[in-house]
Amino acid sequence: MAKHILLIDDEADIREVAGMSLEAVGGWRVSSATCGEEGIAMAVAEKPDAILCDVMMPGIDGPATFKRLQGNPQTREIPVILLTARVQRADRLRFAQLGVAGVLPKPFDPMALSDQVDALLAPQPAGASEKL
Amino acid sequence: MSSVPAAVQAVLDQHRGALEQRAATVEEAVAALAATDLDENLRARAERDAHKLAGSLGMFGLPQGSELAAELERSLAVAGGPDPAELPRLAELVLDLQTQLLGLLEHAAVDEPPDGQASSAASPAVLFVSPDPELSDRLMVVATGRNILFRSAVTCAGATRLAAEQLPDAVILDVAFAEPGTESLDFLEQLSSREPAVPVLVLTASEALVDRVEVARRGGGAFMQRTQSATDVIEALNDLLDRAAPTDFKVLAVDDDPAILEAISALLGPSGLDVSTCAEPYGFWEALTTTTPDLLLLDLDMPGLNGIDLCRAVRADGHFGQLPIMFLTSYSDSERVREIFAAGADDYVGKPIVGQELLTRVRNRFERVRAQRELTEKDHLTGTASRRRSGGTLEALLAHADGRGQPVALALLDLDDFRRFNDLHGDATGDAALRGLGELAADTFRGEDVVGRWGDDEFVIGAFGMTSDDGVQRVAEMLESFREQRHTSPDGRPARISFSAGVAEYPRDGSDLRTLFRSADQALSRSKKQGGDHVLPVNPDTGSEADRPDVVVVDDDDVLAGVLVDSLKTRGYRTQRFEDGQQAADALSGPSPQISPALILLDVDLPGLDGLAVLRRLARDGVLKRTRVIMLTAHSGEAEVIEALELGACDHVSKPFSVPILIQRIRRSLKR
Repeated sequence: MAKHILLIDDEADIREVAGMSLEAVGGWRVSSATCGEEGIAMAVAEKPDAILCDVMMPGIDGPATFKRLQGNPQTREIPVILLTARVQRADRLRFAQLGVAGVLPKPFDPMALSDQVDALLAPQPAGASEKL
Repeated sequence: MSSVPAAVQAVLDQHRGALEQRAATVEEAVAALAATDLDENLRARAERDAHKLAGSLGMFGLPQGSELAAELERSLAVAGGPDPAELPRLAELVLDLQTQLLGLLEHAAVDEPPDGQASSAASPAVLFVSPDPELSDRLMVVATGRNILFRSAVTCAGATRLAAEQLPDAVILDVAFAEPGTESLDFLEQLSSREPAVPVLVLTASEALVDRVEVARRGGGAFMQRTQSATDVIEALNDLLDRAAPTDFKVLAVDDDPAILEAISALLGPSGLDVSTCAEPYGFWEALTTTTPDLLLLDLDMPGLNGIDLCRAVRADGHFGQLPIMFLTSYSDSERVREIFAAGADDYVGKPIVGQELLTRVRNRFERVRAQRELTEKDHLTGTASRRRSGGTLEALLAHADGRGQPVALALLDLDDFRRFNDLHGDATGDAALRGLGELAADTFRGEDVVGRWGDDEFVIGAFGMTSDDGVQRVAEMLESFREQRHTSPDGRPARISFSAGVAEYPRDGSDLRTLFRSADQALSRSKKQGGDHVLPVNPDTGSEADRPDVVVVDDDDVLAGVLVDSLKTRGYRTQRFEDGQQAADALSGPSPQISPALILLDVDLPGLDGLAVLRRLARDGVLKRTRVIMLTAHSGEAEVIEALELGACDHVSKPFSVPILIQRIRRSLKR
């Protein structure tokens, strides 16, 4: 069965392009949510293999969504990748301390996104440092 | 799998309103700042929208737009609004952003072809048609690794449906299992009739007698043997795609307005034109000499040096003087137009630029340039490549074959007794014969093949992916057509002429063009010595078995035997014929036969001794160990055929048969 990824982003165009890119290029099964709350509910219900989540969203933002997912035993193990247009060094460090699986910059290249996601989700060699 | 770039384009179309709205909010905030009227609510909305633009424009292929938006976002993020001192910079950023966005959205609207095939420069879509799922899988793996969108169909009907859904950038057609049927040919024709035509790579089995002329006529772009590795096939495909795009055509656009330059790049770039830009008229000459363009696009009004000045300077230059020049102008009054043409311009396009018009006009110029180039490189009389040109092309063909591990058949053709023909019928008739041969050769060998006039009455042909054996076959068929061409001397007498040819195979008969030529020339000389009017391959064991016939025809039907012997001789086979079974058996069997051919074509119904009886004698005396026999049967029953095969005949062909098919069977039998 195809790997399943949950996309959380409030912007419809990003959801569509990212979804299509992950499906067509990466072979993922994709479901999507338009905000953090909906994303958390879907993560509990669907148990995806990974979550790709926008940072800046109305309501609860990406980092807050991630913290809620971490606090729930049912979703704690799901790797989360944050998607953000603001990848300043300070932000990277802040996100790294959260313990996400990775941070991908926006805008992304639709042809490359799925490879980038795959790379972040690949098992880390023993002793490797934080993937950021 | 659908084409991602096409789908991204579709998303862009769907969300263009949202993008425009976001840019408008940012613009509104900067305007409000200028009027010292920026409230917190608008600032926050503008920051958020700038953020969204920064996050999405690059995804739609506009990374500069993303950068501009990110810079605006940073300025707008300051609590209480940006410092009014930053206003000029912000206003400029907003303007740039709007221009970029406009270019992107216009581009999407202009460039989307009606059939929904969006600009696919990023990853070409390829359609593979083959009944062989295993080959399809192997190609798919390599193609996907090269970022090629790969779809496959088992039949041409399926492929037609897939092509209707999304037009592929190229097609690989596998005709390995049979001669291409009408279905494949119709499919080919359908692809080649499109504008622009879809290039097709045809995969053939090494032994398949594919009618290359027919396939090429219907639009097959290149041939390849399917025994090549998947990687080789995909490489060849990439070459084909490269050739389909006119990337060798360079345009230099000069305009002081960067937005116009970007619009020009955006409009012409996707069509495969190589666009360079120059925004500074004083830097023009340097741009011209470094880019050496094939076409100049000049803005009429520029500060300092205007387009007219630049145009005059180019026309006065010895090296660049002939360069095609087009003007971009917002004035089209007759005085300005006169001035433009007086300065030496070839054409002009009005501003604002209409994408399709600019593209069409540039394409027209491009076609003219290409036609002119071909003219100087063609032999005027025969329309084939000149010696200078074909030499270079042949070198390139060998290099190309080297990279693909493919053979090249090199044929040298020479008209028989051309001087006598000219003396008898006049030079004009001789010219007509040369033209006829040039046209025939260009018709027979197409696509990647090279046809050139090498000397007075000598032609050279290089056929990519063709063995010497296949080459002899094709050239022999050409010879058969050429003999049929009727010319008339000035005094009304009919005039006919034939040619001789030698065929060499690269790299087998020569590892470079020079040695390959020498081999082909030796074969040509042998053909001439044997009386001409036939085609010979390079023979490694020259002369050692010169008296031994290759093929003996035993048939009492004079017409049929005559046609067979002629066809075989044209293809360079030494032949001998017997009418009578008894005579044939005496000559071919016994403890030490008089003649020992490689192959016997043996009719069943013969006077003297019938075919089966002859075959029994041949089997008894062990002749069948070194000689193959093909039985020609007319009304024979199954029992006779089975007996013939049991006795050791390697094949049987029932009458009436087509000569080309029999020739094909003969070639196959001799190869085994």
